[in-house]
Amino acid sequence: MVQASHGRMAAAFRRALLPALAIVSMAFSGTALAQSAAQRAADAAKKICAGKTITIVWEAGLQSLDPLNFSGPKWEQLTGCKVKVVEVPTAEMFTKIMQEYRAGTGAYDALNVIPAWMPDLVQAGALENLESYVDKYGYRAELKTIAPTYRDNQMTVNGKIYGFPDDGDVFLFYYRKDLFARPDLQKAFKAKFNYDLAPPKTWKQFDDIGSFLTEALKAEGIYGGSFFREPPYTMFMFQERFRVEGGKFFDAGTMKATVNSAVGVKVLTEMRNENRFMPPGVEKFGFVENLAVFLDGKSAMTISWPPYGRFAAGYLSEEKALAWVPKSKIAGKVGYALPPGGHPELAAGFALSVASTSKQKEAAYLFIQWLNSEEISLQRVQLPYALRDPFRDSHYTDKDYMAKWPDAKEYLAALGEGAKTGLLDLSLIQTDKYEEAIRQGISKLWAGEDPKKILDEVAKQWDEITQRVGLDKQKAVYNAWAAKGGAYPK
Amino acid sequence: MPVLRKGRRDRDRAFRLALVAPSIAVLLLVGVFPLVYLIVVSFQNLTMSDTDTSFQGLLNYRLLLADARLWQSLLHTLVFIAVALPIELVLGLAMAQLFIERIPGRAVFVALLVLPVLVSPIVAGATWSLMFDNRFGPINQILGWFAGHPVSLLWTIKPELVYPAILVAEVWQWTPFMFLLLLAALAAVDRSQLEAAAIDGASWWRTFRQIVLPAIWPVMAVAILIRALDLFRLFDVVWALTKGGPGTMTETVSMFAYVRGFQQFETSYVAAVSLLIIVLLSTIVLWTLKRVELAR
Repeated sequence: MVQASHGRMAAAFRRALLPALAIVSMAFSGTALAQSAAQRAADAAKKICAGKTITIVWEAGLQSLDPLNFSGPKWEQLTGCKVKVVEVPTAEMFTKIMQEYRAGTGAYDALNVIPAWMPDLVQAGALENLESYVDKYGYRAELKTIAPTYRDNQMTVNGKIYGFPDDGDVFLFYYRKDLFARPDLQKAFKAKFNYDLAPPKTWKQFDDIGSFLTEALKAEGIYGGSFFREPPYTMFMFQERFRVEGGKFFDAGTMKATVNSAVGVKVLTEMRNENRFMPPGVEKFGFVENLAVFLDGKSAMTISWPPYGRFAAGYLSEEKALAWVPKSKIAGKVGYALPPGGHPELAAGFALSVASTSKQKEAAYLFIQWLNSEEISLQRVQLPYALRDPFRDSHYTDKDYMAKWPDAKEYLAALGEGAKTGLLDLSLIQTDKYEEAIRQGISKLWAGEDPKKILDEVAKQWDEITQRVGLDKQKAVYNAWAAKGGAYPK
Repeated sequence: MPVLRKGRRDRDRAFRLALVAPSIAVLLLVGVFPLVYLIVVSFQNLTMSDTDTSFQGLLNYRLLLADARLWQSLLHTLVFIAVALPIELVLGLAMAQLFIERIPGRAVFVALLVLPVLVSPIVAGATWSLMFDNRFGPINQILGWFAGHPVSLLWTIKPELVYPAILVAEVWQWTPFMFLLLLAALAAVDRSQLEAAAIDGASWWRTFRQIVLPAIWPVMAVAILIRALDLFRLFDVVWALTKGGPGTMTETVSMFAYVRGFQQFETSYVAAVSLLIIVLLSTIVLWTLKRVELAR
């Protein structure tokens, strides 16, 4: 009886208490969710990382001024956790990360990785799977507000999250809207080509406009266009243009390289021909050389990463760290559009990851969640010196950012468009070997070799690399990559 | 008494061995162990993604024999040696002959001429890259003065110009090294023999060939050997100027090994390549030392 009475009381108690507990629990979780992801990360880090130091690998130069001057000190202030920044030149980042992983010292906790490296790094075991941390610290909702191209293509390997896309690298088309609006040029162009002088939608139009402007503006010392042509940069431009024109890198069934198709030959041939209406020696132009020519007002069109737009607007000209940037003579005269074809190359970019050999994985994770969060990333992409480009939906519509210079709204709108239609860099096992073959091919192109011969050699090298990696293994990776929304134009 | 002497001898011997043991241990650790490990790794198939340490037989050596790019890079290296070394030797000797005489300001000139050797090769390469720049480099500007119109040669891009550009940079940096060694060697030539030859009316060429050259030959041979080995591992200047391009046209064997080993992590394959280079170089060095009778 007593037992039965106790049982009934217990049941009544459970019936009354459980809903109450649920309400309290929901209230608490509501409070927790009301917190921002940045705040959650900082609060959690305070408990496990205060007084400790986490080490993060970051690209050397301007990029690393972000953790050195802004995010590192701020994180330490919030959590008591110090941040040590290891600056590494881009070309050596992959090597350093892999060497450290192989050595297994745990010297690096968090990493900046180029998304195209992810399959290699994951297969080697160098990156930590972030899924459990994402759930534990409630970050999944904020990941959804990363712009689609980056979110859907640069975050996962084999369906698992290994990095947070953190840099909206994308090629944008910059043109001199003052020249395009000149009535004399408009009239002469229309008479010659029978269509209006406007930002080119196709590469044929680009060639028409470029050669026309070089001829028409010869007396003013202005060229129709200029590009960076050093092989590491041109490799990205080739990848974009090849796919925009309908090329496929491989036969999905046989995994045989098809980069030497007629499309590839056409693209290389046109690229070399375009040098004729560009400044002499354009074959040697890197990022800075091309920037200098454009900012000096000597080129009417160019394609580059987002910082060109900010540098051209001149709103950062007082920034000490950017003293090396030539003074812009074209502020207020630059228009923004997507490159011909409308599918810009995402061209490198960075994702934040956690090193699998880290001894403080959770603290490292919390730091990258905080960096990548809506709240903090919005501040970071507006740092005048740090070169991190907008990558979240909210970045493109931020009122403060849109007020940075008179055309900033158009600039952000163009970046936002690029983030919808951008094309991924080729990403396979041992990507660098495939890329190296293209880079070599491009240097041969500028040296005067026949495009068909160059691409046949590239295709031969690609097939050999594929055989070496293992045809079936590589085919699976390629097909997974090709199935992504940003692999080929839809 | 003999027993006592033997005991002391043994103790002395043990003491001597104890003194050299640390050095031998260090030498084994830093010299022999890496070599043995290199040989072991060259028979495995370690790559970026594959850490399987099972033995793969002669796989890497078969690949190596069929790798056209490796043999081309070796050929490029030999071309650099064959062209740069004689130029550096002749120029270095000519400069040494010039400065062996006591001329005013000799010490200052010698110090200035030796400066390029003090520059780090990668810095020298970067500097020459600027010198050869098609737009702002002084080389094209000077050529333009002679030509009477602007010259925009792409020294580091066009196939016909890349080798001359690299060789100029290399010869500029390392001729002073030859000069310095040969100047020291010339200074040690017996003056009385030279004076006797002059009194006998021997021509300059005969004096040089029969007195000076035999006297400086041991030093000259060592200088040639050192520079040949240096040129065999040529990397920095080429990397700074052309990165091995166009294509792989100027890629040296050191660059090949770096790219495959440290950028693409073909660890076992590069171990096999390194072993090939070690065998080649050791053979050449031993043969040369024997030829010039320096190894006695």
